[in-house]
Amino acid sequence: MSLHLIYYFQSSQNQNESWTPARYKVVHFFGDEGFVPDAKLSELAKSDPHADYSDLTFLSLDDLKSFANRVAGDLGSESVRLLSVQDYNIGLDGARDRKELKEIFVKYGETVETLVPSKKKGLFGKLFS
Amino acid sequence: MKRGSEVSPGEQWFFYWKTSAALWESQILELPRDEVVFLPLNWGFHAENQNQWDFGEILPERDLFRLASLLTQHNRKFTWLIPLTPSPFLPNGGIPVTTARTLSLSPSGTHLACLDHEGRLHKMFSWYEPKVFQAWAGFLAAFGTYIAKRKIKAPVWGAQFFYKEGSELISFLTDSSVAFEQGFSRYLRKSHPEGIEISEPAREATLKQDFSREVNELFKVTAEAALGPFWAGSQEICVLGAGPRDTLERGLTSGRTQLDFFQDIFELFTKNIWVSSSLLTHEEKKDLLPKALVNHFGQNAAEEKYHYRMHQGELGQDWRPYSVVDVVSARGDAWEKNGLFQFLESNLRWLYSVHKEIPFTTDAIESSSHKIKFFHGSTLDRTAFGQMLKLFLMGQRVVLDKSGLPSDLEKRLQVFFIENNLKVQNVNYLTSINLTDLGDGKLITFEGDQLSGKDTTEFWKNIFRFIRMTLPEVIMDREVFGLWNIRATGNSDLNYLDVRRINLYNPTSYKKLVTIRTHKHFAFMKMVDPERAQAKSTPDGVQVELLPNGTVALDFGHFEEN
Repeated sequence: MSLHLIYYFQSSQNQNESWTPARYKVVHFFGDEGFVPDAKLSELAKSDPHADYSDLTFLSLDDLKSFANRVAGDLGSESVRLLSVQDYNIGLDGARDRKELKEIFVKYGETVETLVPSKKKGLFGKLFS
Repeated sequence: MKRGSEVSPGEQWFFYWKTSAALWESQILELPRDEVVFLPLNWGFHAENQNQWDFGEILPERDLFRLASLLTQHNRKFTWLIPLTPSPFLPNGGIPVTTARTLSLSPSGTHLACLDHEGRLHKMFSWYEPKVFQAWAGFLAAFGTYIAKRKIKAPVWGAQFFYKEGSELISFLTDSSVAFEQGFSRYLRKSHPEGIEISEPAREATLKQDFSREVNELFKVTAEAALGPFWAGSQEICVLGAGPRDTLERGLTSGRTQLDFFQDIFELFTKNIWVSSSLLTHEEKKDLLPKALVNHFGQNAAEEKYHYRMHQGELGQDWRPYSVVDVVSARGDAWEKNGLFQFLESNLRWLYSVHKEIPFTTDAIESSSHKIKFFHGSTLDRTAFGQMLKLFLMGQRVVLDKSGLPSDLEKRLQVFFIENNLKVQNVNYLTSINLTDLGDGKLITFEGDQLSGKDTTEFWKNIFRFIRMTLPEVIMDREVFGLWNIRATGNSDLNYLDVRRINLYNPTSYKKLVTIRTHKHFAFMKMVDPERAQAKSTPDGVQVELLPNGTVALDFGHFEEN
């Protein structure tokens, strides 16, 4: 069982003397059973003091990976495949049907193995919206 | 009829390009005689090259005259649907292959792609490419000339396609691709020849919205001009399962659930938005969903939506949808902030509908005279304001949130009270409320912005108590769905005022109970078409048990209106 995370990288912005650092925003987070509920994601993002948990944005790719790891551990998934919006779009461009849509994540995703072996297997499906 | 087939994917649509022209006649003969056939135009399919459009000279599947002749020969009413936005059920969104250049980008940055009912992935291309507009306008001109020359007398409706993302409705024209950005730059240069400096992101967003709105209008106006006498208007159609998140979800092993689709169609029903289930597979369109779609987006509803018939003021023997509240859209989320939508969702779920404006025709006024009309000051102009006051003078119940009401209209309201010698009762409860009566008419005005952030449940309860409504009380789980219909009493009925029907659906895999209390104004008449459902009379009304995928309709006679 694997989870998939699509994220969007936004470069730093300097507008009207206010500076916004570069950030990584979670666009979609889902597994074979469905999407991970937003409330669950916000709750798990709270443990990163630098993250904006309401908007699910992180300051670095490492922070995003740690977050993905926490979600996977919590849901009892062995791994998460991370995919940037740009890579997803490249995959989408070449996909022709449902089967090829599913393959995008295997082809282009970066797999992050869950560090903490989960004890929550079986609860996976119940947590999805 | 083979509902849900490749050629007839739902809502009486006929995908003529999906089958050999030799099979059109046999397919048409399978369609029910009384149903209007909707023909979405696959305009890219008619492109022979960049400047040549084929209507049957080269490919028989493009012969629209033959198709129209077959429909006429077999006495089928039909309507063309010309896309005014990308169409999620067509390859490239409908754009001819030679013109498809830049992929459209959704607000979250992903390309827009939709899975169709056969599991194929259609990518949407940007309509902000100047070449797309040229090609589309070229098709319109050719199609307009063709139907005029061949004297095909069928209306043409423009179709604006949308998808649902959360509770938001997003047009397929919404785009943030390079083509959109380039178009936006050209728009700024043209609309501000002196140059413009945009430093605020909010200002940029507003200008982009203006640009999108103007482009949207341009497609509509161009279609109207090109199709002249055949043009019937435009419809907003939400395509189920078409959003970027839906596409991912539908690609998963678990897929989207029936409950998700029920939530979508009932929410869209409330918002008065037509739906299309053309993308849904056989597997997705099983159990209760086809029944709910036919019951509420079937022939009767389609005929009304596409103006084949208008409901008269008086009730007839045909069932018609029944709701009790009409809400005219406010700017932004004003109806959420003052708590009205939350109250309606909790207490009058699916008994209200939201409109951009309320039609002010005799039939529309008469047929909706029982409904309470909610207006918001932020979206009222002089005409709509005058019409609102006339509704009150005609004996209707009108509620006005005065927030954002222009000062000249506020003065006009005060003059209206004086001129008509109306007694205004002022009540202060959470905000300032004015109550006025005139015959059956009631006019309530209040300052809604003062309600923001407050618990407004009691406020709205009091407002509805003042208005007074007689309705059966339906107590049910949030995952059970029900819509009301109404008809006049027939010869075989007792002497009721009217007859109400509620269609109940349980799209979950759990047993659900529904209690309907009739409050001494309604009599339970009968249970209709129960499937995995049981109903029994109780001293208070009716108790219904719905098994998983259970559905039933219940009829009630309405009597003794006080």
